[in-house]
Amino acid sequence: MAWIHGWLGLLAGWILFAMFLTGTASYFRPEITRWMQPELPGRSVTTAQAATAAVAHLQTVGADDVQWYIYLPDARTGITRVFEQPNPKAPPRPRGELQLDPRTGDPIAARDTRGGEHFYRFHFQLQLPYPWGRWLAGLCGLFMLGAIISGVVTHKRIFADFFTLRWNKGQRSWLDAHNVSAVLALPYHAVVTYTGLITLVVMYMPWPIAANYAKPLDFAQAAYGLPADAEASGTPAPLVPVGPLVAAAERRWGAAATRVVIRHPGDRAATVTVARHPSASLDARGASVTYAGATGQVITQSPDPGPALATIGVMLGLHIAQFAGPALRWTLFLLGATGAAMVGTGLLLWTTARRRPGVAPFFGLRLVERLNIAVVAGLPIGMAAFFLANRLIPADLAGRADLEVQAMFWTWGGVALLQLLRPARRAWAEGFAIGALAFAAVPVVNLLTTARGLPWSLAAGDWTFAGFDIAMLAIALLLGIAARRAGRPPRLPVSRRSKVLVDA
Amino acid sequence: MAARCVTALVGGYAAAAVLATLIARLLPGDRAEATAWGMTLSFLFYAVIGLWCFHEGRLARVLAAVWGLALTGGGLLWLLGVRP
Repeated sequence: MAWIHGWLGLLAGWILFAMFLTGTASYFRPEITRWMQPELPGRSVTTAQAATAAVAHLQTVGADDVQWYIYLPDARTGITRVFEQPNPKAPPRPRGELQLDPRTGDPIAARDTRGGEHFYRFHFQLQLPYPWGRWLAGLCGLFMLGAIISGVVTHKRIFADFFTLRWNKGQRSWLDAHNVSAVLALPYHAVVTYTGLITLVVMYMPWPIAANYAKPLDFAQAAYGLPADAEASGTPAPLVPVGPLVAAAERRWGAAATRVVIRHPGDRAATVTVARHPSASLDARGASVTYAGATGQVITQSPDPGPALATIGVMLGLHIAQFAGPALRWTLFLLGATGAAMVGTGLLLWTTARRRPGVAPFFGLRLVERLNIAVVAGLPIGMAAFFLANRLIPADLAGRADLEVQAMFWTWGGVALLQLLRPARRAWAEGFAIGALAFAAVPVVNLLTTARGLPWSLAAGDWTFAGFDIAMLAIALLLGIAARRAGRPPRLPVSRRSKVLVDA
Repeated sequence: MAARCVTALVGGYAAAAVLATLIARLLPGDRAEATAWGMTLSFLFYAVIGLWCFHEGRLARVLAAVWGLALTGGGLLWLLGVRP
């Protein structure tokens, strides 16, 4: 099993490292977006008020739309987002997702950015066209699952490894570090891998649905009580006020609403579906209730899920962790970081275990080593470049959201190529050092270009901004330590036991 | 080795899909629940079958078991058709 573990880890390792890093960042998706739009003040209104304001705006711009999606604000996002599905018969006009002021319903003026959404999408789409990115991410997730199972079989001393970390012993230390980061957080890794696969199970494994339902949509309807997509009647009827419907749904659940979908607004057959906020329960497939848009009567509501559907919902919830409060969220963030550390040390181990003293490294070894540097040291630099670009690209420049994303990938690609000019050990140290400087620069540039620098956000008790800047400094410190350690020459030759383990 | 890899990756997926779909199709009770059980367990089947393909020494046994499971299960599902 040891060699399968090695190959699974090697083949998927670089992508898994990137998925772990961006996925871990995505625990703070709304906070990252907030930080990347410093113009927006934090405001709080009730969801019912926000829904009323958003509907008022949509009625002026898109009264003939087929469907409106309204994503209500919460304490973390602070804004309303709306998306219109246009009527195919209406003259086309430019539209996309729109950010609205939750109080007034007017479109807000803030810099255009992908925000935390960028890392979140990259985490499972890998910046590849649909559906290839999702399939590749799924394959890597499956390799990860295989590597976890075979890894547990490989490390028979799993309990003893829990307490074993020998620093500064060359390869032995990398094996220990790999074991400690893997074993310490093993339940987390197993859960996050399996639940990650489950998030896209309908795409990866559609066959159980196909065996039971002639039309796949019937499954969604039976499982989650979503209303059938009714046709418009053609008879106009005014939409009842949506705010009270949201408030009624919230009273029904005793929890906040997160989303309102209005189908055929202004028609007698209009429906208003209100969905519960995922923070209300471990089950992320939150409850929903559908009202008739013309009368406000309840038409249908989601059934209580049975054990299997609840299992899927809870798996989804555990993965996206929207139920988590700040303390648990930071814990998950740190566990995610141990995941990246586990994959990273595993990749390093592959090279250190195969290097023989006094023998020129073979091509594959040099290739793996260079790819390791490009991904493990390079990706963090690219992520920092994304944040820096957000502050340095003029706020009103057209197409700036795409430029930010390009800044990340060009920086990452540049680092991946430039490191080839340096000897490997220097490239490790210098790569980490550049990463440390880049992350340290983020709060500095924030301080210089906005009025929400660390001293001011601390003074104002604005923990979204202060927390972000402090996290950047902590990451910079961590990368600085990594740069220092990577610059030192290794101490000990390969020990016999770990050689046996790797050759086995 | 190539045969093993293809069997693990493609055959493993087919066998896991067949097992998951058989559970979904044959489990009595609510069909949405049965569907969800099949989907939930599918990746566990896939991972275990895939690893076993490399663990088992005899290639003939790997090929027979995985492809046999995929084909017979697939045939059975085809005979059963969509749940009425």
